[in-house]
Amino acid sequence: MANDFLDVEKSIAEDAQDTLSGKPRPASAEPMLSGASAKKQRTLWGDAMRRLRRNKLAVIAIIWLLIIIAVAITADLWVPQTFGSPTAIDTAKSAGQSLLAPSLQHPFGTDLQGRDILSRVIYGSRVSLAVGILATSISTCIGLIMGALAAYYGGIWDVIIMRLADIFLAFPYILFVIAVLAVAGPGFQNVFIAIGILGWPSIARVFRSAILSVKENDYVDAARAMGASDARIIIRHIFPNSVATIIVYATMSIGGAILTESALSFLGMGVQPPTPSWGVMIADGKSYLVNAPWMMLAPGAAILTTVLAFTMLGDGLRDALDVKLKDA
Amino acid sequence: MGKYILKRILQFIPVFIGVTIILFVVKNVVPGDPVKLITGEGPSLTPEAELQIRVANNLVESDVVKDENGNVMYNSDGTEMRIARLDENGDPVPTPMVKQYFIYLGDLLHGDLGTSYQRKMPVTQIFAEKYPYTLRLAAVGICIEIVVGIGAGIISAIKRYSFWDVLVTLCTSILVAMPAFWLGMLLQLLFGVMLKQWTGGAFSLPISGAGGVVSTYPTWMHYILPGITLASVSTAYAARIMRSQLLDVMNADYIRTAIAKGLTRRQVIVHHALKNALIPVVTYIGIDFGSMLSGAILTETVFNWPGIGYEVYNAITRRDWPIVMGGVALIVVVVMVINLIVDISYAFLDPRIRFGAPKEEK
Repeated sequence: MANDFLDVEKSIAEDAQDTLSGKPRPASAEPMLSGASAKKQRTLWGDAMRRLRRNKLAVIAIIWLLIIIAVAITADLWVPQTFGSPTAIDTAKSAGQSLLAPSLQHPFGTDLQGRDILSRVIYGSRVSLAVGILATSISTCIGLIMGALAAYYGGIWDVIIMRLADIFLAFPYILFVIAVLAVAGPGFQNVFIAIGILGWPSIARVFRSAILSVKENDYVDAARAMGASDARIIIRHIFPNSVATIIVYATMSIGGAILTESALSFLGMGVQPPTPSWGVMIADGKSYLVNAPWMMLAPGAAILTTVLAFTMLGDGLRDALDVKLKDA
Repeated sequence: MGKYILKRILQFIPVFIGVTIILFVVKNVVPGDPVKLITGEGPSLTPEAELQIRVANNLVESDVVKDENGNVMYNSDGTEMRIARLDENGDPVPTPMVKQYFIYLGDLLHGDLGTSYQRKMPVTQIFAEKYPYTLRLAAVGICIEIVVGIGAGIISAIKRYSFWDVLVTLCTSILVAMPAFWLGMLLQLLFGVMLKQWTGGAFSLPISGAGGVVSTYPTWMHYILPGITLASVSTAYAARIMRSQLLDVMNADYIRTAIAKGLTRRQVIVHHALKNALIPVVTYIGIDFGSMLSGAILTETVFNWPGIGYEVYNAITRRDWPIVMGGVALIVVVVMVINLIVDISYAFLDPRIRFGAPKEEK
């Protein structure tokens, strides 16, 4: 464990040494991300994959995320049968099942209504993953368009869009999301839309600076000289050269969106009961901290490990793709 | 320098106006009649009383009432007596949205944040009551951030790859990924419930600095757990920035020169490296102080802390718009002023920014 954090830097240093000494490296890794044929040719994505696979923390993160995703997708097949339904409240049964401490039958205990905590945590992962991915997709799309407009056209577009981003960033973020939810009403759909719509300014900034650094390259001038349209230049030439930055930033944003969702649900503005959500479960546990601490322990640990996994994966991707994230 | 400050202040004006416009739009698209929000679900009002409320809140056009000598008449509470302007059908004329916005903006610039719908108090008075709690908590949080964040960052950079470095890196990663409200509850669970016999119940639930809890323990003890919770994420970031900055600076040429001169490692670090490495960290902590002053809804909710974050959050759920609009405007101004101070001091410390060099070296 002690060296895991340092592997990244060491592996980059090793790469540099290998590169300098001209030593050929084993080209064993399949270029999975590129989708190219598995020929022994070296691509940017193949190199990145190889570096990512050497980063133990990133590999652990990927495995953990795959487990969570697999469990979330297959939950209907085995979770309710084994641990009980996450939502059903059986009044006849719940009296005896209420606030049970963790046991073999209920590994994480039960809540006030006698529902199994593990079952609810598993179903809660669906909400968190969905909100994290959908919200990040929305904010990335808006951020990309805004960032592209600002950086590529510059001038008045740049001023307007960046000022707008300043206005959005001047708001206390969580208060802003809550205010939007007060207008739109709480609920799953509104939560990811609100987080997604309000998350664009930082992505726009990152993408803007990424484009600005790519835009000055000769091949962009060459494309323009050949008569390529603005849209073609952005999509075919600029976008592929800043896609690494976007992937890294989006991966890290998913963790942030999951944290925001849990905070909103904790405050009662997010996903509404009886749909299990980690934030709602922690809020439920707040009143039973003394008698039933397990009610808040499991969902909190779920948030922590999931967000941590996305951060680690983002860190790993950043090092593997050699992206320098500017202060966003 | 003066030019730079002026430029920064001028940049704030469009941002502030944008924020007020967004607040105003949010308030006006929310479903619900303001009069209902003001009077609550009580018995229905007479049309006259309802009209009077609309006049008082500038929802309909009104005129000042004058006596026969042309002097303005005043209500018993010292405000101008106003009467609704009626059109030819005898219906009140609604105030145009744009005019309502300018009335709101004008009041705001005069420091008048309006009167709370439900609490029937001036919003400024509510915030004057709540702000000290947020301020004191932010002060505690920032102290923790400075001492622990900078300290951990320095140790982790100096003893790179050691056990302590790994520990700091691990802790910062976990703290950043942890929901702050969950950390607050864990601390309560640990110190308030499980270690109760050792702490003597000093942290027992509910922990509140409001003075609502009868406690034999000094008041400052109530600040410890909320302070740690509030500072957790930013302390982790401060430690990370400190570490990477110090490692960066240690590779600089002037450090090699200092070592070549024969200075001890300690002298090099204290006199040469730290000064430069601290600048971005201090900037980060300064900006973070601004966001702490804007009240932490989550920390304040977990600890029932009577600060402004909690107040504004409650106001949103109750749709008490004057508190929301006043609170957010206040928060935005505080954050902007702190950011301005940070930027100016940064420019003061680092001439490269003052002279317009791009701020890219972070």
